[in-house]
Amino acid sequence: MEKKLENLQILVNHLTYHYPDGTIALKGINLNIYSGEIVGIMGKNGAGKSTLIKTFNGLLKPTTGVVYIENDDVNNVLMSKLTRIVGIVFQNPDLQLFANTVEDEIRFSLKNLNFTKTELENQINLTLEKFKLKKFQNRTPFTLSGGEKKRLAIASIMCRNPKIIVFDEPTIGQDAEGVEFIRNLIKEKHSEGKTIIIVTHDIEFAIDNIPRTILMADGLIIADGPTNKILSQDQILNIGSLISPQLIQLSKFLIDSGFKVPDNAYLKENMIQFLGSFLKEKMEITEGGKP
Amino acid sequence: MSFEFMEAFKFIQKKTIIHSLDPRTKLLLATIYSILAIMFEEIFILFFIFLSFFPFIIAGQLFKKWIKSIRGMTFLFLLLIIFNTLFSTFSKSISMILRIMIMVSSFSLFFLTVHPDDLMLSLLSLKVPYNIAFSFSLSFRFVPTIAIEAQNIIDAQKSRGYEMEQGGLISQAKNLIPLLIPLIVCSMKRAFHIAESLDSRAFGSTKNRTYYYSISFTKKDWLLTVILIAFFIFGIIVKLFPDLLPNWLFWRFPV
Ligand SMILES: Nc1ncnc2c1ncn2[C@@H]1O[C@H](COP(=O)(O)OP(=O)(O)O)[C@@H](O)[C@H]1O
Ligand SMILES: [Mg+2]
Repeated sequence: MEKKLENLQILVNHLTYHYPDGTIALKGINLNIYSGEIVGIMGKNGAGKSTLIKTFNGLLKPTTGVVYIENDDVNNVLMSKLTRIVGIVFQNPDLQLFANTVEDEIRFSLKNLNFTKTELENQINLTLEKFKLKKFQNRTPFTLSGGEKKRLAIASIMCRNPKIIVFDEPTIGQDAEGVEFIRNLIKEKHSEGKTIIIVTHDIEFAIDNIPRTILMADGLIIADGPTNKILSQDQILNIGSLISPQLIQLSKFLIDSGFKVPDNAYLKENMIQFLGSFLKEKMEITEGGKP
Repeated sequence: MSFEFMEAFKFIQKKTIIHSLDPRTKLLLATIYSILAIMFEEIFILFFIFLSFFPFIIAGQLFKKWIKSIRGMTFLFLLLIIFNTLFSTFSKSISMILRIMIMVSSFSLFFLTVHPDDLMLSLLSLKVPYNIAFSFSLSFRFVPTIAIEAQNIIDAQKSRGYEMEQGGLISQAKNLIPLLIPLIVCSMKRAFHIAESLDSRAFGSTKNRTYYYSISFTKKDWLLTVILIAFFIFGIIVKLFPDLLPNWLFWRFPV
């Protein structure tokens, strides 16, 4: 979707946040997020990323400044309404799993949504199937594996069908399969038109899956733009204590060595295509496929 | 929900005369004030005991934290006034509150100014077995960690539509389950991790340990100890011979 005023979904203006103990976690944030965007939030530990996302669903109220979610000032909206629009998936599933069965865990998330009984059971079933949890339906959540617990925690937010989905560090501690699952989920939700916000330290994940990145440091936004641009500027990387992704390093190296590398070579497919066609030109390929 | 009250028991590093006292002296201070608070129920006497504790709070630069801990207990105080006035007398409720204030103040002074490591050393010097002393100081070390974790659990549950419900006692208790179970699960996980890490460092494999830090009594400590004991003896004498005191100290509210 286009970045038009009517698509503006999150508007943050001069936002500051002070914790009760006096810590100033946000020092003046300005930010626009449009409907259907995928946005990454990066930055060192303590930069204020978690604090910022907690203002989106009403967990924290702005100290000064405003946060608008879908044209509503968060100060004037009940939290029960905000959490329906903004679903935050926290990093550690152990913080939220408590029910007797996997099924009840989903049911708990749907409790206050005014479903009829049949609608409720339908939604539970759909969610269990979608997240490949059907076979664990009647098992206790505590004996699930790490990846399965994570899926259940994500399912317990997704079943509420939020328009804005926020992931806090989704890839930490996940194996390759788990990361793949999250990658596909993001794609799918994006195609459904959802807005997706991802707090992450995982630069390789970010460069592959997140088109726009916001970089935070010390309670401020220090950069906001296309992920590949942000992750290739040394000055910005230094402030954010980040290392640029491998393919950007490779592109830079090739460009410095005089090759004409396309701008989009930071994506794996493009780099493979570029190197593939380049190598084909330079080397003859024998019948067996070996030079 | 807030954990401000716990703040009143969390050690903060400062350079004051109170901080530099030996932990055993401060333990004695807390114990003697608590015993005195229990011994008396006369409002004026308790009030003077309370006043005599103020210099310690000021000297330790603990006034802000102390106010917080007292504020955190306002609810408890209200309950005390209501119940005591209903079932006993208003005077009783006031002396009850003064007693609690004295005890909480004296122990919060102890925990605010004694480093968790020194806490263990002082327990050891009182001949508490090492295992127990270590567990005790470890559990204090984890109070702030658990408070943060509890807040994260509340945040995670609220994010999926959990609401702190009003209602009867039973429904409120039921409403705590989504918070308590993750808290217990996380605490147990951490406990197992700590146990593993202790085992892997051969904790408890030898009887004789080497201690990196030590605590020692100085002149200040002896001086304060003598004053405290004198104060305590004075308290006992007054308790045994109440005639020594002027009558107005025994005044009560007519209700
Ligand atoms: N509950 C809290 N009370 C006081 N300070 C906090 C609390 N939570 C976070 N902070 C502080 O606020 C700042 C920003 O924290 P946070 O938003 O968690 O950063 P990030 O998620 O980027 O690592 C840090 O300095 C942190 O110590
Ligand atoms: Mg964080």
